[in-house]
This record gives sequence, structure tokens and C-alpha cells, in this order.
Amino acid sequence: MAEVILSDVAKSFGSNVALNGVTLTIPDGSFVVLLGPTGAGKTTTLRLVSGLETADRGRIQIGGRDVANLTPAQRDVAMVFQQYSLYPHLTVRQNLEFPLKSPILRTPRAEIDRKVGEVAEILQISHKLDNKSTALSGGEMQRVSIGRALVRNPSVYLMDEPLSSLDAKLRSDLRIELKSIQANFGATLLYVTHDQIEAMTMATHVGVLDKGRLVQFGSPREIYENPVSVYAASRLGQPRINFLPADLFGAAPAGATHIGLRPEHIVQGEGQDSFVQRVEHLGDQTRLHLSFRDHDLITVTEAHTTLKGGDIVKIRPEKPYFFDATGARVT
Amino acid sequence: MTHSPIDRAALRTPPGMARRIRGLSDRTIAWIFVAPTIFLLLAVNIFPLIWTIRLSFTNFRVNRPNNAVEWVGLENYRRILSDPDVWNTMQATAHFLIWTIVLQVLIGFTLAYLINKKFRGNDLWTTIIVFPMMLSPAVVGNFWTFLYQPQIGLFNYVVSFFTGIDPASFSMIGDVHLAPWAIVIADTWMWTPFVMLICLAGLRSIPDSIYEAAECDRASKWRQFWTITLPMALPFLMLAVLFRGIENFKMFDLVVQLTGGGPGNLTTLTSIDLKREAFEKWRTGYSSAYAVILFVSVFGLASIYVKALNKVKER
Repeated sequence: MAEVILSDVAKSFGSNVALNGVTLTIPDGSFVVLLGPTGAGKTTTLRLVSGLETADRGRIQIGGRDVANLTPAQRDVAMVFQQYSLYPHLTVRQNLEFPLKSPILRTPRAEIDRKVGEVAEILQISHKLDNKSTALSGGEMQRVSIGRALVRNPSVYLMDEPLSSLDAKLRSDLRIELKSIQANFGATLLYVTHDQIEAMTMATHVGVLDKGRLVQFGSPREIYENPVSVYAASRLGQPRINFLPADLFGAAPAGATHIGLRPEHIVQGEGQDSFVQRVEHLGDQTRLHLSFRDHDLITVTEAHTTLKGGDIVKIRPEKPYFFDATGARVT
Repeated sequence: MTHSPIDRAALRTPPGMARRIRGLSDRTIAWIFVAPTIFLLLAVNIFPLIWTIRLSFTNFRVNRPNNAVEWVGLENYRRILSDPDVWNTMQATAHFLIWTIVLQVLIGFTLAYLINKKFRGNDLWTTIIVFPMMLSPAVVGNFWTFLYQPQIGLFNYVVSFFTGIDPASFSMIGDVHLAPWAIVIADTWMWTPFVMLICLAGLRSIPDSIYEAAECDRASKWRQFWTITLPMALPFLMLAVLFRGIENFKMFDLVVQLTGGGPGNLTTLTSIDLKREAFEKWRTGYSSAYAVILFVSVFGLASIYVKALNKVKER
């Protein structure tokens, strides 16, 4: 396992700037999740680290070694592709064995069998080992594709939305599994996702990308509790953070145009009246859709609340974030 | 319950649309639509086939319609299969078939592999390479008789340039050892582009991401070729072999124009021989039996081959 360092890396495809000067250190043994909407440059970052694309500018180091002129094979990276990319004419077992059969590794037969068995067990595909890889469901293909990376012991694992096509149960199983693999083996993982739950539960570090720039990097808690901008704040949190005019609840700091309130940062029963539009019971919690001075906002309350649509509830902000007109954090 | 294709077509017709046009049922209307096709098929394919089989058991000659037609049983078949000349033409055909297929597949696949690499102007190259395929076989045959000219032919000149052999000292078309190769070379020149196009379709159907995965899995280019490229392009390759095999089994125009079947009858392929028997010697019954034998062998080989092809596709 190794540390990965990107310094001022840029990449354009024609006139389309995919990455614009990204500097990022992925510490050895960390689980780094890149967050951002489609087109933010997440996948490009992965492909640059893997060596499938070459950077226009900047430097990439893996384990202290500049990898600019190295092929993916020489970089010793394992990648999980979003579109699976299984070898279609091979069986599941042959797909999993494929990386181990690389002449560079010369893995003994018994070792190959042991590893493949182990990984198949973890990913719950042991019963499918002799199936053709094309005869699998989307979720199974995705697991084989993850397995093909896990049988190896590379410098860094690169994963491009690997859990996106799995059902909810399997996704949560695999989240735990991936996290424990990373923790137990001290693997370095660079992971791309849209899913904030994946980011919050697995990551040791989260990098927030916006239009090819890294706007914030830190632990999930840091980014959740101390976002640098409207953009970073809205990446995490479910339901999403509420953005309202800065002076809606009273005086605002100089320069602030918006107030950001996480749903749990709205205290109920004190302050000013708001109108309950809708109540959503989710079982473990209840969401309240409120209307406050013609602005909609969402907050959470206890599971067994007796509030219902049409009620009036008093609210007061607590620990609000203030942002200026450009979206940057003021306080 | 199983339905015939006509029933199925009738079932798919939207209700109320065709149902009661002038009191005709869906089934009747479906039959009216397919009847012309079925009639044509029977008239130009099935009937001649049955008629040929019937004639193959007689001594009928089409240029002597007034002679009494005698039923000779399997006599025609016995004579054909025991005729050494027929076996010679079969051998010439096999030589032609095997070598054209081997060369065209090897060269065609290599060209496709190279063209498939992303480089500037590869579309232009594809067009240039495909050019021979667009010519008429008769023109190509004629054309190659000039190229093979010992005194002025470009082919002889090029061979002499590389080997130092006197260009006037050998004749591709006249020499008994070279003539079978002369037709193989001309056909390969003309039809390799076709094989290349099919292989190119096969290669382009392999997604880039599979190669990217293999890159990350540290497979060498060599291993990628043998474990990804070739297995995934194999069905296309086999299809090309099938097309070229069937086409060249009935090869006629190019070879007639180029060598006329000579020297002697060294390049007389079965289709040329058959045409002579049927329309020069007018031995209609005999040539019908000949045609039936060829039909059965091509049909048999092709069926076995298609089975193999389907197996490869399922893998």
C-alpha cells in the first residue's frame, strides 16, 4: 500500500476542462471518497491516477514515485469500473483469476484458488464461480468486478461508483465489507461516489470536487460540520441543508447573504411561528416540511411526534452557517 | 399450443383493423400477402431443385429434346464419382478454397487489427484498401492477366525486383506449378478487404473499457490479444470464413477470365467444369447429378460449420 499525491494536476478533453489544478494527498491506508455531481472531475481523477489518461499538467506520485511515464500495470493499481468491464467470454472464476495470472506475479495455483475462494465468499458469489460472466445480473457483475480488484494487493485501489447498481441490502453489506477490508489490510482506497451515505460511512477523508477543482478536503465530519461553501455544504446531509435569506431570523453578519441551516440545527418549540405543511414519518425519525415567512424548509423531529399538517410550530436556528453572495462561508 | 408463422402474424394484427375487410378473415389476408413470395420461391428455387434431382437420374440432353429420355438410375452419380478428372477439379477447388481462406483471413485480420488502431487518416486507408472489392470480378480477372504478363507485367517485375529472378523467365498463368497460385493471389487481392471489414466490425465491437480493465490487471499486449481480442472477434472471423468459403466454392468469373481453367485443366474449378458439362457438352442429366453432388457437399459442410459458429457465439 502507498501514499498517493497529486500536485496541481490538470486535464482537458478538447475545450472541456475536466480537472483544473487539483492538489490532493491520499495518505497511506486511507479511504478517500471523491464527491461531486456528474462532470465534476471525479472519474477523470481516478483515470489519471490509474494511468489510463495522462495529465496535461502537474505531477502524480504513488508511494513516492513519480508515475508520469508509467503504464497502469507499472503503477500497480487495481481499478473497479462503473460499467463492470468483465471479460465476457470468461467464467466468473476466470475473471477473478485473471489479474493473478499476470506473468509479473507468478502466483502459485493453490494461492490463486485460496484468494479467489476467499473473495468470492466475501462478495457472496461462491455459487456463481463457474457461470459465464455474461449470465449474471447487474449486481452480480458489479461484485465480480469488485472481486477482481480485491484478489490483488495493489498500491492503491481505485473504485468508480462500485456500489451504484446494487440493491439496498447488498449495498449496505458491501459498505461494511469494503470498510473492513480497508481497515484490516491497511489498503489505500480512492473511491468515487454520488452517494453521501457511502461517503459518510466509509471515508476517512472526503474530497469535494466542483467543476474540476478540489473545493474542500477533510474528514467527513469536518466537511459536514464545517463546510467552506454553499456547494460543499450541500454535498452532505440528508435531508439537504436549508438555504434561506441571511436576515430571515434576525441580524446577520456583515457580507452574509444566505443562512445555511442543517435540518437538525432548527430548534423547535422556541422562537418564531412557522406553519407545518407536511409530515413524513420515516420510522426512526420524522421529517417536517415547514413554511416560514414564505420560505420552505425541512427539519427533523422525534419519530412519534403528534404534529400534523396545518399545525403551527415555533422554530429557532442553532449553529447556523452564513455565506456570502459568491457562496463562500462567512462564519 | 404452437402457431405457424402465418398464425402468429395474424395474431399480431391489431384487432378490428384487418379483421373484416370484405369479410376476409385475418388468416386469409395473411396468406394473400405472403402468397406471391411463396410462389416465386417455389418457382425459381424449389421447383428447379426438384427438377434437377429428377434429371440427374436420366440421360436427358437439353440440345436433343426429341431423343427418348431414359431412366438410368444412379449411373450418372457412379460415373462422376469414379471419374479421375472430376477428382482433379475437386482437388483444384480444395487448393483454391483452402489457400484463399487462409491468406485472406490472416491478411484481412492483420489489416483490420492495424486499421483499428487510432491513427490519423485511418478512414482514408480503409477506403483505399476496400477498393478492389468494388470492382467487377471479370475486370479484376482481365486486369491480372496483364499484371501476370512475363514481359510487361507489374507482378513479374515486382517479384524480380525482390528476388532477382528474370521477370520473363516465368509465367504465372502458363506454368503448371504457378497457375493454381495465380488464381489464389488474384482472389486474395480482391477479397481480403471484405474479410478485413468483417474483422474490423468484430474488433470495433469490443468495448475499450475491457482493454482498460486488462491494462490495470497487468495483462501484456500479447495476453490481451489472446484472451480478449481473438476470442471476442472469433465469431466474426468465422463468419468471414463461411462467406468466403461459399463464395469461392462457386468461383467462376474471375478464374475463367484469368486462366480459362488452364493450363490443361489445372485451374478448372468444379463450377467451371460443371458449366462445361452442362452448356458446352450439353450432358444435362450428367451435369444435374454433378450439381446435386456439389450442392449436397456445400450444404453439408456449411451446416456443420454453422453449428460450430453458433457454439463459439454461445461461449
